[in-house]
This record gives sequence, C-alpha cells and structure tokens, in this order.
Amino acid sequence: MNQEGTSQTAEPQSARPHGVSQWALAWRRLKKNKTAIAGLAIVGAFVVMAAFDRLVALYPPRCIVGLSPSCPSPDFVSNGPPTLTHPFGTNIDGYDVYSEIIYGTRAAFLIGLGATGLAILIAVIIGLAAGYFGGWMENLLMRVTEVFLVIPFFLLLLVFLQVALKFSQFSTGGIWIVVLVIGAFSWPGAARIIRGETLKVREFEFIAASRQIGASSWRILFRHLFPNVLHIVIVLLTLQIAASILTEAAVSFLGFGAPGSNTWGQQMYTSANFIADAWWATLFPALFVTVMVMGFNLLGNGLRDALDPRLRE
Amino acid sequence: MSFDQILSVSGLRTYFYTYAGVVKAVDGIGLQVNKGETVGLVGESGSGKTVTAQSIMRVVPTPGKTVEGEIEFQGKNLLKLTESEMQHIRGKEIAYIPQDPTTTLDPVYSVGDQLAEVIMRHQPVSKKYAITKAIELLRNVGIADPQVRISQYPHELSGGTKQRIAIARALSCEPSLILADEPTTALDVTIQAQILELLTALKDKFNLAMVLITHDMGIVADTCDRVTVLYAGQVCETGTAEQVFGNPKHPYTEALLSSVPNLALRKKHLSVIPGNVPNLIQPPSGCRFHPRCSYARKVCIDKDPELESMGDGRIVHCHRWKELDLKSAVAS
Repeated sequence: MNQEGTSQTAEPQSARPHGVSQWALAWRRLKKNKTAIAGLAIVGAFVVMAAFDRLVALYPPRCIVGLSPSCPSPDFVSNGPPTLTHPFGTNIDGYDVYSEIIYGTRAAFLIGLGATGLAILIAVIIGLAAGYFGGWMENLLMRVTEVFLVIPFFLLLLVFLQVALKFSQFSTGGIWIVVLVIGAFSWPGAARIIRGETLKVREFEFIAASRQIGASSWRILFRHLFPNVLHIVIVLLTLQIAASILTEAAVSFLGFGAPGSNTWGQQMYTSANFIADAWWATLFPALFVTVMVMGFNLLGNGLRDALDPRLRE
Repeated sequence: MSFDQILSVSGLRTYFYTYAGVVKAVDGIGLQVNKGETVGLVGESGSGKTVTAQSIMRVVPTPGKTVEGEIEFQGKNLLKLTESEMQHIRGKEIAYIPQDPTTTLDPVYSVGDQLAEVIMRHQPVSKKYAITKAIELLRNVGIADPQVRISQYPHELSGGTKQRIAIARALSCEPSLILADEPTTALDVTIQAQILELLTALKDKFNLAMVLITHDMGIVADTCDRVTVLYAGQVCETGTAEQVFGNPKHPYTEALLSSVPNLALRKKHLSVIPGNVPNLIQPPSGCRFHPRCSYARKVCIDKDPELESMGDGRIVHCHRWKELDLKSAVAS
C-alpha cells in the first residue's frame, strides 16, 4: 500500500499503463505471505546447495577422510563426533557427514522433481481428459484411478522397487528406477483433484464462448481449460515434490532404495545400525529431509492461498 | 424465399435426453431473418429462445441434440455441415453475444489476446495486425482508452465494459448474422440502454442481420423490425413489430403485452399470466398454451393448431385467431 502511494506521486506515469494478470496478482499475494516466503527461501537455499555442492561441501564426494588421496587430512575417524573439521561428525566409513548431506541434495531434487514431474504429467493428462471429454472415457479413467487409490501404495512401491532393482543392470542407474516407480504410483490423488477442477471450469461461460467463436476442441482444452486449472497443478506440484522426497527417504531407510545411490534416505539406512554410537550420522540427514520437505510444504500452502480464487478479494 | 434472406430456420426440433425423460425444449420452431434486419425472439424463461440460438450455432450442450429441422444460412444447410466446417462459420459468419458478460471472457488472457484469438482464428493475419484491429474494434464499441484496455484482464473491467468487449469480439470478423442472447439482462438499466443503442448503431453501420433474444417487450419495441413470439418450444406468432404490438393475434402475445408495466395506464396491479411454463417432458395436449389461455375451448385441448399464414409474412399458431378480437395493452 505504502509503496503504491509513493510511487504514484514520485514517478510520472509510465508511457503505457499495463493490465495486471491473475498471475501477477497471485505473486503479489504470495509476497505478502511470510511463511510462504520462508518456504521459498528454504527451497532457494537448497537449490544453491545443490548447484554449488562442491563449494558448499568441505570434502570431495565419497571421500574417506584421512585415507583417500583426494582428502588426506585430517586423520581418519570412524563414527567420529562433530568437531570443527567435521561439523556433523563422520560416519562408520569415515565419510564427512556434512559433505555427504550436501552431495545428497542433488539426489533429493532429482527424486522430488523427477517423480513429481512424472506423477503430475500423468495426473494432468488423465484429469483433463476425464473432466473435459466425459462419458465413457471419464468412467474408464476414473475407475482406473480408483483402482490405483485402493491399492496400498507403500507396500506396492516396496515390492516394485525390490523387483525392479533386482533386474536393473547398473547399480548406479538405480536411482532412476526409484524415481520412475514413485512417479508411476503417486498420481491418482492429483488426477482426481484436476478432474474435479476441470469439471468446474468446463461449465464456465467463457468455455462456451470459445466454442461460439469457432475454436476447436483441442484449442479449448489447451488454451482455455488448462491455463485455468494450472493454479491447482502448481500447488499439487509443490506439495508432491515434498511427498516424493519423503517417500524416497522412507523407502531407502527401510533398505529398499537404490544401492549405491547417495540419498539422504540411504545415508540414514547405512548409519541407523550405529545410532547408539554415532547418532549424528543418522540425525543430520533426517533433519535435512525434514527442513526441505517443510520448505516445499510451506511454499505449497502459500501458493494455494495466493492462487485459490475463493480467497481472492 | 426472397433473395435477401440470410437465415431460414424451419421445423427445428432440439430435445434434451435427460434421466427424467426427453425435454422437448425446441419443438418445431421456424424463423426467418433478412439482411440488415433485427428479429426479436421473445418468450418467458424456458420457452426455448436460447436453445434455438444454440441450435443455429450447433453448440447445444449435452445431453441436448437437434433431431430434426432445417437451418439454411446463406444457402447452406448448417445441420449438414461437418464440425470443422461449422467451426469456420462460428465467430466468422455467425457471431454470438452471450447473456452474462461477467463470465464470458477467459480470466487468464488479456482483452487483446482474446480479441486477437478470434481474428487470427478466421483470418490469416499476424498477431501485431490482429492487435491493431482489436484496438480499432474497441474504439468502435465506444470504449475509451483502447490502448490501455487492450492489455487489461477481465477482472479489471466493469460489467458494461465486458459486454462491449463481448460485442467487439462478435464483430471482429465482420459476421453477417449476430445472435444476441439477452445481451443486457445482466446489466443495470442505464448501461442496458447504452448497449442497445450501440448494438443498433453497429448493426446499421455494418448492415448486419441480428437475432435479439429477450424477454423484455420494451427492448423489442425499441429495436426490432420483426418479432417471433415463442411459447414452450413453439412459435405463437410472427410479424413485424408494429403488427405484433399493435394487433396481437395470439392470446399469449396479448397476455405478454398486458403484463408489461405501464405508467400511463395507472393500473393498481400488474397483470400476470396465471400458471407456469409447462413441463416440456410431457407438454399439454393440443395447443400448449391452453391451460393458461383465457380463450381456450375444447378444440384447443384436443388438437394442436396449424401454423397459419395470415399473408404479409404474419404467421399465427392458434385455432381461434380469426374469431378473437385481441387488444394490445401497449397500442397507441
């Protein structure tokens, strides 16, 4: 408010005033929401960590401190407590816990974005098709979705991962299998929400109006329907990223993750056996999972408040 | 069939197949529109006005279906065209001005984008040219500051402005026929008058034919050359505005006219037509208006009257039009 008042007096009206789109309005609302900005800051910090992991970390990846040639000093300590040289201590293998967590950030983003991208893509296609075309197609797609919802998701995930990883040729490519399997099983809820929103938007007058100006079905679907359910998709996307990261951590912690991948869940899995001697090696990865998931959830909730038309003034 | 006839609808039947039964929303409606003419389509809510317009555009929502009839537009039978041929007629040859301006614009696009969409859909022009044309259109419909409006979004505009934009969109490809579906119902009275004036002026300027759907007899009297009165999915009578208003031939028209509030008559009570529009799943036998008609006889209950031509283009759908001496409450 204050800003607008001053800018109006200070600046001689710019050449051509512009309209303000719904997206610009949503961004304004988001900026006012402190918790959402906190979420955005957390996510931003993790993005920086992932992008510049070599700079943020203290030691090279997978480096047995004191023994590997790439990191000869300081001395080798297994399950060493946090010190100045090892802020989060070392784990059983002598890795620096802090550095390994930093290197795990990329994997977290890979899982979060990869699995979510796949899940939301499926959800959007199924939700839009079911909501827009209706009839037998809606019936078929929604019954399939319900079948997926009824199946105990987590158990099925464990079975699939175990089978998929057994048959995978490359132990290092295993993380992609985790991404694919999580993505392939976490779309049903989002698909139903998108279908519901599509059903609502479909009845709006402007959809009928675009038919009356001679637009084709596909044009209506992609140019008019999809942009109007996009706000829901964005919120689902953000929340699903958090859920996917959490799922991977849980799966890996139970020992069903991709062996050889360096995710926070894997770090917790290898260190959990020694939790009595070295709690730090398990606690800190768990803390990072928690903070990252919290960041995405805060951002998602903020986005929902900013984008939800019912809350618009 | 005169040569300047642009639209000729005959025997149109559009039914809605609902779970409760088949709703005969439009049951044998005929309509003629000549070049440069405004035809009023009047009737109560549920008389089939909007469905008629939707049938002409072939955009009847499911579960509705046009089962019979002929819609001849510029020598083509629209009901025989494919969906993609029809898409080239919608918006280009026949434009539609919807009822509620507040929801007819897509909230995520600016005004300019939405006008450009129609122009570029039907003409091979660049986006830049389309935007220039859109600014021109906005000026034509009397919008101040078109350069500013063009970049604005629907939520920043008032209802009257949105309706002007809807009109601009309808005019954007220079159609030869405009279907205006109660274009002023959602607006307040002062804006209503402006919009109607604008429509009439634009119609004369571009020599358009227009079908004006309304339930407001005052609007019809002001703007229409000819009138078709609908009741329960059927035509009651058709004629020039003077004929229908000055000398109604169908009891329903007479009842409609006498229920128009009129200060000059200083009536204590408004006259109303008793009863409701009938259930169109099982319409009344014979003449559909007979349960509410004060002139009904046994023949009206037993037999559906013929559509009788009175000559000079007037058509009446009543058994007793010859013997009845109906009075117009608004004549003078």
